[in-house]
Amino acid sequence: MPVSSDVTVTLPDGIALHARPAGLFVKTALKFQSRLTVTSDGKSADAKSILAVLALGALGGTDLRLTAEGDDASAALDALAACVRNLSE
Amino acid sequence: MVGIVLVSHSLELARGLAELTSQVAGSEVRVEPAGGAPGGTLGTSSDSVREAIARADCGQGVVVLADLGSAVLTVRHVLEGRPNGHVRLVDAPFVEGAVAAAVMSAAGQSLADVASAAEGARGASKF
Repeated sequence: MPVSSDVTVTLPDGIALHARPAGLFVKTALKFQSRLTVTSDGKSADAKSILAVLALGALGGTDLRLTAEGDDASAALDALAACVRNLSE
Repeated sequence: MVGIVLVSHSLELARGLAELTSQVAGSEVRVEPAGGAPGGTLGTSSDSVREAIARADCGQGVVVLADLGSAVLTVRHVLEGRPNGHVRLVDAPFVEGAVAAAVMSAAGQSLADVASAAEGARGASKF
């Protein structure tokens, strides 16, 4: 039974979701089957698309709402939220 | 992992893009630049493309991006003898396509998915 859920995490201060951090985020998302979306400042992106994630231009300290739909939604959100919390330059 | 080859008229451009791409995707992906004509002028050379493909190939296939016009012709010439699809020239924007392809490769995706991510970059907005 596919499930849908969401969680909100904050980007660490001074760490924008660009370059290496964005790559780590997308590589984490690609490990899961669920449809994963990241929303920041009213803009949404497919969490599995590096170009879409980079285009969000999310800066350090901003909230990211992570949404997942699919069989592994819960595990995907756990992994993505942990990835965001542990991001460093 | 799928290897990535960046073919530019300028070796500096190909090298710079390889550096940027590796920063985003991680250094585990083989991103190989091929650029410049023999003698160090602007242009492309079949030999340097052939060598870059050999360096990038770890057995799972290679995606090749070219910057403009005659770089495409050079790649096509090199690929004429390789009809099996293991090395694929993609029609993609150079910078965005390279970054999209390298991240997919770093995530362990297939040659088809890496190629399609590069080509899908054509419709991506920068902001």
